[in-house]
Parts: sequence; C-alpha cells; structure tokens
Amino acid sequence: MFSKADLEEILQVAQKGGDFAEIFLEEKRVTRIGCEDKKIERVIAGREEGAGIRVLKGENTAYGYTNDLSKENLLKLAKRVSGAVCENPDASVVINSQKLPVPFPVEKRPDEVPISDKVALVQVADEAARSVDAKLVRQVTVGYGDVVQKVVIANTEGTFVEDERIRTRLAVNVVAADGGVIQTGFEAAGGTQGLELYEEETPWELGRKAANRAILMLKARHAPAGRMPVVLSGEAGGTMIHEACGHGLEADLVQRKLSVYAGKKGEKVASELVTVIDDATLPGKYGSFRCDDEGNPAQRTVLIENGVLQGYLYDHLTARKDGVRPTGNGRRESYQHQPIPRMSNTFLAPGDASPEEIIKETKKGLFVEKMGGGQVNTVNGDFVFEVTEGYLIEDGEVKAPVRGATITGNGPEVLRRIDMVGNDLGFAIGTCGKDGQGVPVSDAQPTIRIPELIVGGILEKEGDQD
Amino acid sequence: MNGGKKLDGRELVSAVVAEAVRRGAEMAEAYYGRSEDLTIEVRNGEVETLKIASEEGLGIRVIKGGCLGFAYTSDLSWNAVKETIDAALANLQVASEDSFNTLPEAPSSYPELDLLDPALRKVPLEEKIEKTRAIERAGRSFDPRVRLTDRVSYEDSWYQVAIANSRGVLASHQGAFCGGSAVLVAESEGEQQTGFSFQLTRRYHDFDPEAIGKEAALKAVRMLGARPKETMKVPIVFDPYVVTSFLGLLATALTAEAVQKGRSLFVGKVGEKVAASGVTIVDDSLLEGGILSTPFDGEGVPGQRKLLIKDGYLRGFLHNTYTAARDGVASTGNALRASYKSTPEVGSSNFYLAPGKIKNEEIIRNTERGLYLTEVMGMHTANPISGDFSVGAAGIWIEGGELTKPVRGMVIAGNIVRLLEMVDAVGSEVRFFGGRGAPVIRVTGLTLSG
Repeated sequence: MFSKADLEEILQVAQKGGDFAEIFLEEKRVTRIGCEDKKIERVIAGREEGAGIRVLKGENTAYGYTNDLSKENLLKLAKRVSGAVCENPDASVVINSQKLPVPFPVEKRPDEVPISDKVALVQVADEAARSVDAKLVRQVTVGYGDVVQKVVIANTEGTFVEDERIRTRLAVNVVAADGGVIQTGFEAAGGTQGLELYEEETPWELGRKAANRAILMLKARHAPAGRMPVVLSGEAGGTMIHEACGHGLEADLVQRKLSVYAGKKGEKVASELVTVIDDATLPGKYGSFRCDDEGNPAQRTVLIENGVLQGYLYDHLTARKDGVRPTGNGRRESYQHQPIPRMSNTFLAPGDASPEEIIKETKKGLFVEKMGGGQVNTVNGDFVFEVTEGYLIEDGEVKAPVRGATITGNGPEVLRRIDMVGNDLGFAIGTCGKDGQGVPVSDAQPTIRIPELIVGGILEKEGDQD
Repeated sequence: MNGGKKLDGRELVSAVVAEAVRRGAEMAEAYYGRSEDLTIEVRNGEVETLKIASEEGLGIRVIKGGCLGFAYTSDLSWNAVKETIDAALANLQVASEDSFNTLPEAPSSYPELDLLDPALRKVPLEEKIEKTRAIERAGRSFDPRVRLTDRVSYEDSWYQVAIANSRGVLASHQGAFCGGSAVLVAESEGEQQTGFSFQLTRRYHDFDPEAIGKEAALKAVRMLGARPKETMKVPIVFDPYVVTSFLGLLATALTAEAVQKGRSLFVGKVGEKVAASGVTIVDDSLLEGGILSTPFDGEGVPGQRKLLIKDGYLRGFLHNTYTAARDGVASTGNALRASYKSTPEVGSSNFYLAPGKIKNEEIIRNTERGLYLTEVMGMHTANPISGDFSVGAAGIWIEGGELTKPVRGMVIAGNIVRLLEMVDAVGSEVRFFGGRGAPVIRVTGLTLSG
C-alpha cells in the first residue's frame, strides 16, 4: 500500500506531538456464512481497510483512525493526532523491515477455497446435528467465518513489520425441545488455520456434539444451589483461568491498581500446584499470532509458576512505564482501536493426578464437563462462569446431569484452594471482550478440583419444577 | 462514474443500485454509513487518551431468483464498488432460495425527527475535556474513600446514513449524540469496590458530568464491606440498570425472527398472558430524545411505536421486511444495522418497560426484607432461547424497608418468563441507558444462592 519512505514521512509528522508515534495499516477480507432452518440464509463477503495513528507522550495517548487511505489524508490525520498531544521539534524517522519468527503454515487458504466448499462444511454440520434426533432437535444454527488480515505496523523506534493473519471458525448451536422444556447445545472449532482444520475437527463431529449436549440437558434436573466441591473437566475449556486470573494479570489493570494481583510479583498467590502460562506461539491455536498488533514478536510468558507470581502481560505502553520489555501482548480488534494488553492462548499447566483419581476422591459435588462464558470484576477478583454441561458427583462417581448452573467465586481465593491438578489438557476457543474490543483467544486447563465454590442453581424443596 | 468527483451518500447509493441491476440483480439495495466519533478519557485530571475517528462504507444486498447475497466495502472507489456488487451477486448463487426475500417499497412519507443538536458540533474540544474532568472531580470529591479512577470518559458521535433500493426507496438522515461514563474505585481497609455510571443523550445541554461522577462514587462506596448471605428465597428489588440488562433477553425473544425459527419463548403466545399485570413493554423508534430514534430503519421502512406486551398480555412481535413477508404482515420498521458491514436483522429500537404507579423508592420502603439488586454479572451467559439465566448478584440488603448492608458474591437463577410473572411492583420513573429503559421493579420468588 505504502512505501517505506511514505511511512517514515507520516511518522515524522505524527511524532512532532510526542515521544513515540506508530502507524497501523490494515486490509481485511472476510467471509461469513449463516445457516438456519436448513437454509443458507446469509452469505457475506466483506472488504475493509483502514489506518490507525497513535502518538504517545509520557503516559498519554492520542489516537486517530480513518478508512480513507490516501497519503494526503494520512498526513492530515497524523497532524491532527500529533496536535492533540503537544508540539515537538522535527526529528527524522528511520524504520527497518523486520522478519518474524514462528511460521504459521496454512494449507488451505480461505481466499483460495471456493465459497461452495465452505457452504458444504456448514451443511454437513447442520445435517449431523439434525441426524442425532429428528424429533427433539428443533433448530440448528451453523455459522462459518474466515478472515484474511494483512497488517503493516511501523513506529518511530524503527519497527517495520508486515504480517498476514488467517483465521477460520465454525460454530454450531442446537435447540432441542421436549414438552415445555427448551435447551441448547453449542460446539465450536477455530484456529489460525485454513480449512485443513475441519479435516481434524470435522463439521460432522461438531454438529453431533452440539446436538447431543442439547438433548442431554433436556433430561437434566436443575443444578443444586449452594457451596460445594467442584471438579472442572480437562475438556471443560479454560474460562475459569481466563477470568479468575488472566485478566487480573494484564499490566494496564495492574498499573492502575485495578487488579487484586497488583504489587504481588514474587509472592505466592496460588497453590503450589498452579502454573499459568500465556503462549501466543502455539501453532494453529485460535489466540495465536506471529507478532502482536504493535509489531512485537509473540512469546511464551510464564505468569504464575508453582504458585508464585512471575510477571504480567505487557504491551508497549505498560512495559515502558514499568521499564521492562513488552511481552508481545499488545493486541487490538482492528485499526479502529488502540492496542492494550490482552491474553492469547492462556492455560493452567497440567499436573500429575489422573482425571479418574480426582473424581474418585470427591465424595459429593459438581462435575463440570463444559464451561460457557464468564466475566470478572478484576478489582475485587469476583468472577462468574456458566456451566453448559454439568453432572452431580456422588460417592466418587459422575452421576445425573444438571442444568442451569452458574458458578461464582473469587479469583485469588480459588487459585489458593485448588487442591488437585490432572495430567490432561483441553483447549476451547472464544472471543474475549475488554474496553469494547473483541479479540480471538483460546484457553485451557487440565482436570482440577476446587474444594468449595458457590453454585447458583434453584432451591429444590421449594418447587420451581418445569 | 470513473472515480472523478466523490459522490455524496444519496448519489452514491442511487448509482450503486442502478449498477447492481445493470449487472444482473432482480432487486438491489445500497446502504451507506458515515460516522465521526470523539472519545476523551481522563485519569487524575489528565487527558489519558484522546481518540478521533472517521469511518464510511457501503453495504450491498442483491436478490435474484429468491436468493439473497450481501457484500460490503470500506473502499468507495468505483472499481471496489463494482467488485463488491459482483461479490454480492456471487454470494447469492450459493444461498438457499426463499420466496420471502424481498425489499420494501417506497413509503408515502417519513416522520420528521430532531436528531441533530447543532450545539454539539460547535462546542470546542477544550470544553469537552473540561466536562470530562468534571465527571472525575465530582466522583473523587464525593467521599475520601473514592481513591482510584478505573475509567472516566466522554464520547460523542455524529453519523449520516443513506439508503436506496430498486423499488424506489431513497432516504437519508443524520444525527448525533453525546455522553459520559465513570467507573470509580472506593478503598477501605485493603478492600476495593467499583461503582459504575453512564449517560447518553441527544442534547449536549442535558449532559450532566457531575451526576455521572457522583453516582459512580456512591455506588462504589456503598459496596465496601459487602459479604455473601446464605441461600434463600426473598423478594428482590431490581435497580433500573439491572432491569435493562434483563430486557436484552426479552428484546431477542420478541423478534419475529426468533419466533419464526422456533427459538423464542413466546412462540404461539400472542393474545395470552405472559407476564404480571403491571408489565407493559414498548419499542418506540420515534421516542423524543431516544438514542436509537430514527425516521427509517436499515431497509428504509419508517419508524414507529409498538406495544409488545400490554398489562401482561402479549400483543405482537418486531418485524423487518423478510419476517413480515413470511407472516403476511407489514414490517414494524425494526430492521437494524450495526453498521454498513451488517445485514438488516430484526432488532429493537428504544425498548423499555413502561412506568407503573408507585414511586421507585416507595417499592424499597414497602419491602420488609429482601435484596436491592444493583449489579448482575455474566448476563451474556443467559440463554435467550430457553430464557434460563443464572448470574452473579450484588446489591444492598433491605431490612424493614430500609437499605442496610451491602451484599456480594451471590447468584440468582431462574427463567425470564417466570420472572415476568413474578413481578409484583413496577416503579413510576423510567430511566434510559442508551436504547433501553426501565423503572425499579420488585420480583418475588427467585432463589438467591450464597
């Protein structure tokens, strides 16, 4: 789009207003397919391009974006954004092209696969879900999406990176009904991969799994309410780790003292069984990238090791403030947003116990096979997450399915109390929202046990049957 | 038409529709959106972030043989526009045929709404920065325990849309709004609690920075020392903001799309009693001062006021042109587009629970023992299809009609339809948060888990 000299010229104008200037150019092609009622209803193709210019002065940020990408307009924007901060004398800017480590090979690029092949994937998932039980399955919604995003990132510290990110995603939502009871089942796969992903995670399996979950929940009774031991399956996803600890370790929240983990580096904040890692370099995962949205290379960051807090997730601005190197976690939803510290692929590292042993040693409690969404208040550490597939544990065995449970707890308290960690590990994908920006992430954990959490269900003896 | 002079919105959409028909579409529609936004964030009296933004783009829908295709572009060069038309035409080839895919005809007229406050574009940046600081000042000086700013911001937005279709629709309008928000942190004995407040308004002179700051501060301070309570069933008094988050669930279930696809709780219930007698729910695209007020929807259909639930009885659903054709009724003008990048889906405009007769605070005073629910967490995990919800809950304990100690770390679970039936008091003062509004309500029969 622009030559090296053009970018240098724009940066030179921008940096007059501060001590750091950056330009982020983005060109994105997206495809989305939606199927409901057995009909391919939405077939969407999109092209979007734009530029974001950022100027930093001390800890203050000025940001501007536009999708009019003429050089003239970008120079105008650079001037406006720099004027928003203050006036600096001229200084020349030199940027040098950098090579990125970690190749992410993509076999079947979404922009080289015909749209009819993508529609076929969606139809297979739809048929698979309906084939589980034609009577109970009332509605199936299948969504497919792919993105080919090209970025150019350059800043006044000399960074000049070009990257291409490819992501695909397939999600199935099933509504099952029996009498007056309606339940849903959800299953999704996605990654920084092309369509080869769906040879492994087949649309047939995704559809079946989502339908089976919805049907199972039809027969489930209401989850019990109150305090009890909770075993989270290694298949459950990592929502709890993401909420209970990940967000609180993002450096912006820590520096503003808005995290319960602020000022605790080097301290014991969790049980010795707990090691938490954020790793953007894992090939193919949904939260992976080669460089972050500030051009810093992706890395593996140990956040908590054997219960001791090792460090935080940094972007450029927060790293500068703490006098450390960024950890490559400066991410943004698009050119319309300034980068902020974000997670990538976050997981609780596996331990020694077998999942069977953990269940066997739990007399009574809740077994969570699959988690849904969650939320955290990082200031006091309180979090919630939903259970989309849960079972009662009685006498060390997984028994009847239960539905409608939400679990609430306090992050630091839960981390200290985790008393068993399994040797398995399962990932789940999601879109993480913060400050109005959504970014793709994945998270994972082994099977773990927390001796006490609050399960929000319905008091049984007082009725409320349906 | 070869990239010389730039077209304005109306000219562009007309030209695109003509070109799409020329390239083979039976019906075509073009939607143009442009916006300019400003955001100011202040921390400790300093402007921490200043954001200026401008965006425009075009969304194109084409129909042929009952199949529909959509494509969008932010590149408005005529070459990119032609490629986008072709992409939309290619997409319809793999879409399923559906005889209800159609576009609306031109209406005889559009309602006139005053959506653009001229004051807003005249106010200098410095004044807006000063008002943002005023939010923080009002909050931080409210109580010595308010010691941290999580986020204090001002935003305003100006937008313009234009739409045309091959059946004669050609319309455009512009509007603007502004507002502020505050998240403040109170600290005491090593404990921290947050309080949140926001206001969006069409009129710059209605924007009240002090009120925003004070409310966030009050909410933070009153949560200090909060503890969970034991599991029980007690009356729960919902704060208006909490009610509006539950209204989100209802808004989805009250769309004809959800009903037609069998994923609404209200399938087959028109005319039936679905809520307590005190419950009336309205969607009003023409509401004076409403943030989502609009003379026409994302398909160019005029906006209107709809009674969805009246005195507990279900009256009808929200429609766009497609769902209306499928049900053989007229569109209610509820085709919503988040931007030029989205297709017009059925959605709510200014959606609110209508006021009752008792004063909001009277409801608390009439409650012997219960919870004044001020915060729910994880509302996005509620199931809009089954209506089941289970959310984190915090608030203030009510004893003898008085607000007493703060409560947090609890869960309330239930079903939205059962909740509507359990409403036994509706307050008389409706408060709007963006496009949703509600008064205080009381619900008796929910389980509070701790």
